[in-house]
Amino acid sequence: MMVYFMHFFKKFSVILIVVSISLLIIDRFSYSEENEILIKDVVINDKENLKYINFNQEISLDHLITKAINKGIPLVFKVTVKIVEIKDIWLTKTVLKKVGYYQIEYKALRKVYKIKDVNGNKYEYRYIDEAIQKISKVEDLEFSFINKNKNKNYELWLNVNLERKKLPKPLQVNYFDRTWNVKSNKSINKL
Amino acid sequence: MKIKLKYIITTAAFIGIALLILLAKAISNSDLISSDSFRILLGLNIIFICSLIILIAVQIFRLLQSIKKEITGSRLTLRLVLSFALMGIVPVLIVYLVSVNFLTKSIESWFDVKVESALEGGLTLGQKTIDILMSDIELKGKSIAYSIGNAEPDQRNNILTDLRAKFGIQDAVIFDQDSLIIEVSSEKNNLIPPIPNIEDLERGGRDFFGRIEEANGEQIYLKAFTPIISKNVMSKKLILQLTQPIPASIANLALSVESVYSEYQQLTYSRNSLKIIYILTLTLVLLLALLSSVAASFVISRKFSSPLAMLADATKEISKGNYKKIISEQGKDEIGVLIRSFNSMTSQLEEATKNSEKDRERLELARIFLETILAHLTTGVIVIDEKKIIRLNNVSASKMLQNKESKMNGKLMSKVILKNKIFEPLYEFINTYIVDNKKNKKEISQEFKLNKNNQERTIMLQITPLSDKKNKSYVLVIDDISEVTKAQRHSAWGEIARRLAHEIKNPLTPIQLSAERIQHKFSNKLSKEDSIILERSTNTIVNQVNALKIMVNEFAEYARPPKIQKDTIRIDSLVDEVIELYEIDKIIKIKKDKNIPIIYADQNKLRQVIINLIENSQDALKAIKKPKIKIIIKKKINEVELIVEDNGIGIPDEIIGRIFEPYVTSKKTGTGLGLAIVHKIIEEHNGKIKIERINNSGTRVIIKLKSGKK
Repeated sequence: MMVYFMHFFKKFSVILIVVSISLLIIDRFSYSEENEILIKDVVINDKENLKYINFNQEISLDHLITKAINKGIPLVFKVTVKIVEIKDIWLTKTVLKKVGYYQIEYKALRKVYKIKDVNGNKYEYRYIDEAIQKISKVEDLEFSFINKNKNKNYELWLNVNLERKKLPKPLQVNYFDRTWNVKSNKSINKL
Repeated sequence: MKIKLKYIITTAAFIGIALLILLAKAISNSDLISSDSFRILLGLNIIFICSLIILIAVQIFRLLQSIKKEITGSRLTLRLVLSFALMGIVPVLIVYLVSVNFLTKSIESWFDVKVESALEGGLTLGQKTIDILMSDIELKGKSIAYSIGNAEPDQRNNILTDLRAKFGIQDAVIFDQDSLIIEVSSEKNNLIPPIPNIEDLERGGRDFFGRIEEANGEQIYLKAFTPIISKNVMSKKLILQLTQPIPASIANLALSVESVYSEYQQLTYSRNSLKIIYILTLTLVLLLALLSSVAASFVISRKFSSPLAMLADATKEISKGNYKKIISEQGKDEIGVLIRSFNSMTSQLEEATKNSEKDRERLELARIFLETILAHLTTGVIVIDEKKIIRLNNVSASKMLQNKESKMNGKLMSKVILKNKIFEPLYEFINTYIVDNKKNKKEISQEFKLNKNNQERTIMLQITPLSDKKNKSYVLVIDDISEVTKAQRHSAWGEIARRLAHEIKNPLTPIQLSAERIQHKFSNKLSKEDSIILERSTNTIVNQVNALKIMVNEFAEYARPPKIQKDTIRIDSLVDEVIELYEIDKIIKIKKDKNIPIIYADQNKLRQVIINLIENSQDALKAIKKPKIKIIIKKKINEVELIVEDNGIGIPDEIIGRIFEPYVTSKKTGTGLGLAIVHKIIEEHNGKIKIERINNSGTRVIIKLKSGKK
C-alpha cells in the first residue's frame, strides 16, 4: 500500500508542487495587510452576576473598504467572546460563547454615517472618522459567567472580524478577494 | 480491481453535469449564492476538475509508457486523442472567449453613466428638498426662540403653542441644558417627547443645529435645535427642539431614490466580483467541458484504436506463423466487417498452413526415413550433380572415403575423394564415366582393390544416373566388400581344409602302422647297418605322419562347423589359469583393470585363443635377448578388451594385412592356421580382433568382446 502511494506521489510530485506553489502565490496576492483591527485596553467589569466587557480597537481600513462604506455598503463587525477552560497547553474547552455585532452604514440622502453598537444603540455622524472612532470603542458587552470552581483556569478570548455574510452577495462569493477578510488579533485575558 | 476507463468517464460526466446544474442554479438564486452551500459546490467542482486532471494525467502517463514500450496501437491512440481533444478544445475555447467577452461587456453595460447621473440627480434633488425644508424650519425655529426669549416664563407655553400652530410645526419642546423638559407643544395631545441625547442638546445650545431622522424607514423627520436667548441673563439656558415630518410623498420618493442609489452603488462596487464569479463559473464550465472531452477522447480513441491494434497484433502473430489468432468481433460497422474478413482470412490461412504442414511433415518423414536408411546403410551413398558437386551423402560414404565430416554437401567430389591418394582410381573412374557417358544412361559398376596401411580393401563402386529433366545427377553406391571376399576366401579355405583333412587323414594311420610293422618285422633280420637305416627311415615316416596328423587336425579344426558352447565366464580368471602353464618362462606380465566384467563366451575356445596368441609370441621371441610378453585386460563400456603384445620380431608389412588368412605366416615351421583359427573363434563370439606392429618390432593383438550375460 505504502509502496503504491510512494509510486503515486513520485509520479505526480511535479503536479503537486505546481499546485502548491500556485495556491501560495494566489494567497499572497490576495492578502491585504492594510485591513486590521487591533484590540486593546480590555476591561471586564463585574456587576451583580453579570460581566461587561469594554475594549478599544485600532481599526485600519484601506481605501477600498472606506470607498465601499461611502458607496452605501453596510459593514457589520462580529465580536466573538469565548470563555475557555485551559486544561493543558494544547487542550481547551469552550465554556461560553457570546457573539455581538456592531455596524456602520452611510445614508446618502441624509449624508450621515449611521452606527449601531453592540447593544443596539444607534448613532449618526456626519464624518466617517467620527463614526469609526465611535465603533472603535465597544462598551458594556454583556455576558453571564460565574466561576464556580476556583481551581479551574479560565480565559476570555476576544476577537473581532468583518462579517462577510452580511456583505452584498457578489462580494461574499468572491473568495479570491481578501479585502474583506478584516479581522482582529485574538485578545486573551485571564478571568 | 481494474475499473474500465469508460465507466469512470461516464460516472464523471454525470457528476460533472449535476455539479454544473447546481452551480448554475446557485448563481441564479441569490439565496443560495450567499450561503455556504455555494462555497461547497464551488469546492466540489474544483475537486472534481482536479480529479479529472489527475485522471487525464494518469491516462497520458500510461499512454506515454505504452508508446515507450512500443505497444501496438499506442501511437494511433495518441494521434486520435490529440485530434479529438483539439476538435473539442478549439470550439469550446472560442465559445468561452466569446462568452467571457460578452459577459464582461454585459455587466459593464449595466452600469450606464446616464443611469448613475440620474440616480445621483435624484438623490441630490431629495437632499436639496430636505435642505430647503431644513432652512425653513431653521427660520421658524429662530423666530419662535426669539419670541420665547423675550417673553415671561408664564407666557412661554402660550407663545410656543401659538407659534407652533402658526408655523405648522408638529412638535415643539423646550429643554433646559440638563435635558429637562420646560415646555411642550404638540399636534398630538398627551405626547411625551423623547429626550434628545446630550451631544445634540449641547450642540443646539451653542447654535442652530438641524438633523434628519428616519422612523421605521418610511418617514423622515426634521429635527432642529435652536438656542433660546433669554432677556433675563441669570435664567437657565434653554434649547428649543422642533420636530417636523417631511411630507410622506416627498419622503417616500427621497427614501426610494436613496435605496435605489445605494443598491446601484453597491452593485457598481461589486461588479468586479460579479465578473469574477461569472467568469469563474464559465471557466469551471469550460474546464469541465474541456477535461471531459479530453477524457472522453481517450475512451473514443481506444475504442477506435483497439480493434486496429488488435488487427496489427494479429498481423504480427500471423507473420510469426501463428494462424490461430482470432480477433473478437466488434460491432457491425466497417471495422467489424474488416475484423470478420480478417478472421475468415486467418482461418483459411490456418487451414492452408495445416495442409501444407501435413504435406511438409509427410515429406519430412519420407526424408527422415530415407536419411535413416542411408545412415544405417553400411553401403556408402553419394549423389553428385553434373559438375561433380556432392548433393547428398550418408555417413558410411564419409567413413569409406575417410572424410572427417559426415556431411559433404556442396563440396566438389574431387576435393573429398582426392584427399587420400588411394581413392584416385575411384575418382578417375567416376570422372571418366561422367565425361564420356553423358548420353549413356546405363548404370555401371566396378571393383577396386585398394591398399591402405598394408591392408587390402575391396571396394565396389556402382554409378547410376538419375533421370531428371532439368538437372543430371548420379548416385554413387560404394560398397566395402572386403569382408565378403574375405569370408568367401575363408569359406573356400574351410572347404579345402575339410576335404584335405578327410582325404589325407584316412591313409595316415595305415602308413604309420605299416612303417612300425616293417621296422618291427625286419629290424632283427637285417644287418646292423641296415637295421639302423631301417629304424631311421621308419622313424622318419612315423614322425612325418605325426606331423601330417597334426597338420590335418589343425585343418580339421579350422574347417569344423561353428559349434560353441557359451557360458558366463571371467576372462581375467581364464587368463590367469592359462598363464600358470607358462610360469616357467617368467616372461609374461599381466596387467588388468579392477572389476573386469563377466562375458558370455565358450571358455575352451577362448582358452585356445589365448594359448595360440601366447605361443605365437613365444615363437616370435626366440631370437630376442630380453623377451617380454604383456597381457592387458581392460574394462571398457559394454566391452572387455584383451591385449597380447610382445617385443618379438614382428610381422612383415607384406603379410600383416592378410595375417588372419589360412596359410599366411611368417614362421618357417608354422602351418599358418593359428591366427586364422583365433580370428574365426573371435568372429564366432561376435567380437573384434586387430593386429598391429609396435614400433617396427613387436606385435600387438587387440581383442574386443562384449561384456555381460548373453
